[in-house]
Amino acid sequence: MKPKVAFFDFTGCEGCQLDVLNLTGEELLDLLGAIEIVNFREAISNRSDDYDIAFVEGSISREAEIPRLQKIRAQAKVLVALGACASIGGVNCLKNHLPMEQALKTVYGDAAKYYDTIPARPINAVVPVDFYVRGCPPQTVELVKVVKALLLGKKPDIPSYPVCTECKLAGNICIFELGKTCLGPVTRAGCNAICVSGGRKCWGCRGMVDEPNKNSEEEILKKHGLTPEQVMDKFNIYNTYVPEVKK
Amino acid sequence: MKNNSILIVDDEAIVRESLRDWLVVAGYDVSTAETAEEALKLIPKKDFSVMVLDIRLPGRTGLSILKEVKAQRPWIKSIIITAYPSDETMKEATKLGAIDYMVKPLAPDDLEHLVRETIESVGKEPTVITPPKAARKPAAKAGELKKSVVVSKQDFKNLVNNLTKTMDVYGVKPKHGKYVYDRINKADELALNYDITVSPPTVYLLPARETILKFKLGDGAKPEPVTDNTSRAIVGVHPYDIRAIEMLDEAFMTANPDPDYIARRQNTIIVGVENLNPSPKSFAPSMGTHLAENGYDLMLTDLGSKYMVAIGSKKGSDLLKRYTTTNEPTTDDIARQKEVLDEALTKYQLHLDVPRERLPKLLEDSYDDVYWQSRSETCLSCGSCVMVCPTCFCFDVQDDVALNLKEGQRIRQRDGCMLVDFAKVATGENFRQDKASRFRHRIYRKGKYVIERYGRMGCVGCGRCAVACLAEIASPLEAFNAIAASWRAKQTAQRVLREIYPESELYAPRLAQLVRVEQLAAKEKVFEVKLTDGKELGHMPGQFISVSIMGIGESPFGVASSPTRPGSFEFAVRNVGSVTNAIHNLKKGDVLGIRGPFGNGFNVKALEGKDILFIAGGIGLFPVRSLIQYVMDKRKQFGRAIVLFGARTPAERLFIDELAAWKTNPDIEFYETVDRGTPDWTGNVGVITTLIPKVQLDPRKTVAVVVGPPIMYRFVIVELKKKDLADENIIMSLERRMKCGVGKCGHCQINGIYVCQEGPVFSLAQLRNLREAV
Repeated sequence: MKPKVAFFDFTGCEGCQLDVLNLTGEELLDLLGAIEIVNFREAISNRSDDYDIAFVEGSISREAEIPRLQKIRAQAKVLVALGACASIGGVNCLKNHLPMEQALKTVYGDAAKYYDTIPARPINAVVPVDFYVRGCPPQTVELVKVVKALLLGKKPDIPSYPVCTECKLAGNICIFELGKTCLGPVTRAGCNAICVSGGRKCWGCRGMVDEPNKNSEEEILKKHGLTPEQVMDKFNIYNTYVPEVKK
Repeated sequence: MKNNSILIVDDEAIVRESLRDWLVVAGYDVSTAETAEEALKLIPKKDFSVMVLDIRLPGRTGLSILKEVKAQRPWIKSIIITAYPSDETMKEATKLGAIDYMVKPLAPDDLEHLVRETIESVGKEPTVITPPKAARKPAAKAGELKKSVVVSKQDFKNLVNNLTKTMDVYGVKPKHGKYVYDRINKADELALNYDITVSPPTVYLLPARETILKFKLGDGAKPEPVTDNTSRAIVGVHPYDIRAIEMLDEAFMTANPDPDYIARRQNTIIVGVENLNPSPKSFAPSMGTHLAENGYDLMLTDLGSKYMVAIGSKKGSDLLKRYTTTNEPTTDDIARQKEVLDEALTKYQLHLDVPRERLPKLLEDSYDDVYWQSRSETCLSCGSCVMVCPTCFCFDVQDDVALNLKEGQRIRQRDGCMLVDFAKVATGENFRQDKASRFRHRIYRKGKYVIERYGRMGCVGCGRCAVACLAEIASPLEAFNAIAASWRAKQTAQRVLREIYPESELYAPRLAQLVRVEQLAAKEKVFEVKLTDGKELGHMPGQFISVSIMGIGESPFGVASSPTRPGSFEFAVRNVGSVTNAIHNLKKGDVLGIRGPFGNGFNVKALEGKDILFIAGGIGLFPVRSLIQYVMDKRKQFGRAIVLFGARTPAERLFIDELAAWKTNPDIEFYETVDRGTPDWTGNVGVITTLIPKVQLDPRKTVAVVVGPPIMYRFVIVELKKKDLADENIIMSLERRMKCGVGKCGHCQINGIYVCQEGPVFSLAQLRNLREAV
């Protein structure tokens, strides 16, 4: 029996779901041969509440999203966070630096009174999460890797080390050596250093490693010309939300 | 085995005598001769196994001895030692049956190693403990003599351009003001006057990821080894990187010849270039690696409009013949070469403050130095230093299955000891948990462990790690210079690469069928399996195997049954991770993959006649059971058998039928306890150490065999010392993370030793010197 898979979106741009469709035709057919997708707003119109694996995209930023997520958790045997917003809170959490009223006002102006909002948070701040497909957007290969691991009943081999390891293996010249700055040394690998390999730098979208040496990274950023405020800003883009350590 | 007779023939008294003394201490019966005549008189008088022969002797030459020996006593293995290696002589010597040679000055321990290998390779009595080594064709090739010729730059370009038509050519190219190795399509892309490349050329020998096996999921299909036999050339390799490659050759081509590395190595042409423009972070001269004598096919020195080209191999020589016009170097050319090399040497800015030969001892004495803690404070554990290092070679192994879930590949990818989880085992213990111990381990590998294990520098002074480290703490030079001690110089001999035959099935599991599964406790099951080829596993108690579930992965388990019960074997598994879970899901009749047996196992010969105190905590019972069965089956050969077993709770007791049988068996004194009792438990309650005082022991004839969770060892040792057991008589089997089982991947390393090779069984006496151990 093929496992039934559902995709759900919360606060986010739905880019993660779009990226899932970014498989080659052959890969997509293979994927559909292995699983049955019952819920996928970006691709199919049918809906079902009977599913085994739930991929959840987006962070939680409204009261009403909490019971909806809890319901998904109760139904799904396996719950996977899809993308940066769901995994680590992501850019949505930047608003947490403001009072919520001000955030509403900034976005909606006079219409603010029709909306409600709470500080944004990753989904694991609300329900237990089994696996993570990290990144903004997540790597399709990693999504496939997690699906395969679930099908095989094993833990997906997601690196616990920083991006630097993969970046060096990719043969890249260090961003710092080119006079720029980068969050690679504290950011969880698994992306094959795609941004640096593509001529950009790491923004930390996959979240931090389990034991990031933030002090050392801060010192390095300062040594390379960033002010303390710029250092904080850099860390905050994706990693504003500081998780409480819980399992 | 060590009382083999050895003949040393050398006219230099100091060499003769120092080698004799060394080999005598190593347990050999040694005779010496000063001249060929003297040697020829001695040879018929004794049954020599090995002759160590200086080829240059006054009077009759060494070659004449070889001739006589070949005719009259062809079984004597001859090792040539010479200060003047020449291609002709070596060819001649090989024809006359010499099996290897070493270049003077040589380190006596290297010679001893070679002698031992030579004697073992004769294959007197293959023991079950040592897995069979790949056949090594006895042939010594010196490569072409280091003859140099002069080639115009245009001709060399012509050579490279022609190479690109027949193979993948990689070379040094400029990129964003730095230099990198990259694919080149024509010679004009090359930038050979570079200082340092970002990544080392060793990535073509040990790529970031490579497939080592292909497999089909499900039963019956045997995984197939995959090697990459693509022809490649690397152009522009600096000498320090060539020295790094020679170090990798030692690691991958000697014990357990690695099929994947060897396939790449043997299909790769290396065109070196002398480094005339050293990087400001390089300290190669301090490591003695700024020049390379071997390991390349061609080596260029830039003389302006032309290259001086040293020929390192027949392949190199053929390339020159085919694509270039070569000229004999003039005296001017030779003088110019010396001048540019001397000038390059003056450009190095960093130097080691102590002779490099002192490094191992220096580090040995500095294990507890505060430096490791203080200097590693800013370490990001980012892995940059190990990923750009040409001598780093550790790896991880993972299965990648296609989405159709029908087939997959086993992939090895680079890993490194600076990464947080590198030494973490499935049950959660991390044997190098803090930054300081990881930082120290890396520096020890660079300055001590690798030298001791492979006889080659573990750091070649390229300085790439110092460039890559954002925290600016990675340079081994800084670490070496930061600690100080004194040490007697150790010379390292040059070993010439021998012809090697890879063990193509090194990573390929044998297939085995599950004949019985039994649940032992909530999370533990025992599996009885049979190799499908009908062969015995050939293990000894205490050895371990790697069990593969294709598509999920591979994990090591101790063999739980004794080789005295042939036909099948057993291993038991606690379900803690992906692989163990997959194994737990297997049913009778399913097929799984087995590699091994690996490791040393318990030395059963040494246990004969002894009283054996078995102490097993939890799943430590699995490997111990193998030895208990062995002792039971050969009961008369051993003294008392006392078994202590501890489980956390009554429900977690294992092999309960056997425990009950041992309890009533008059051949065994059996005691057990549980950490926490239950209302219906009437036996002992308390940790396992509480059982030890209850047993009467004769410390002179008792050996304790201890296996359990890491935490248990320290407390058990304290109790055993109260019973006056000597360190030599406390035997333990250690758990470490293991991936390859063949002494390569690095995960199981404790200080300088590999648990999968020298372990997992150690005496406490051995472990006293291994501070990471318990």
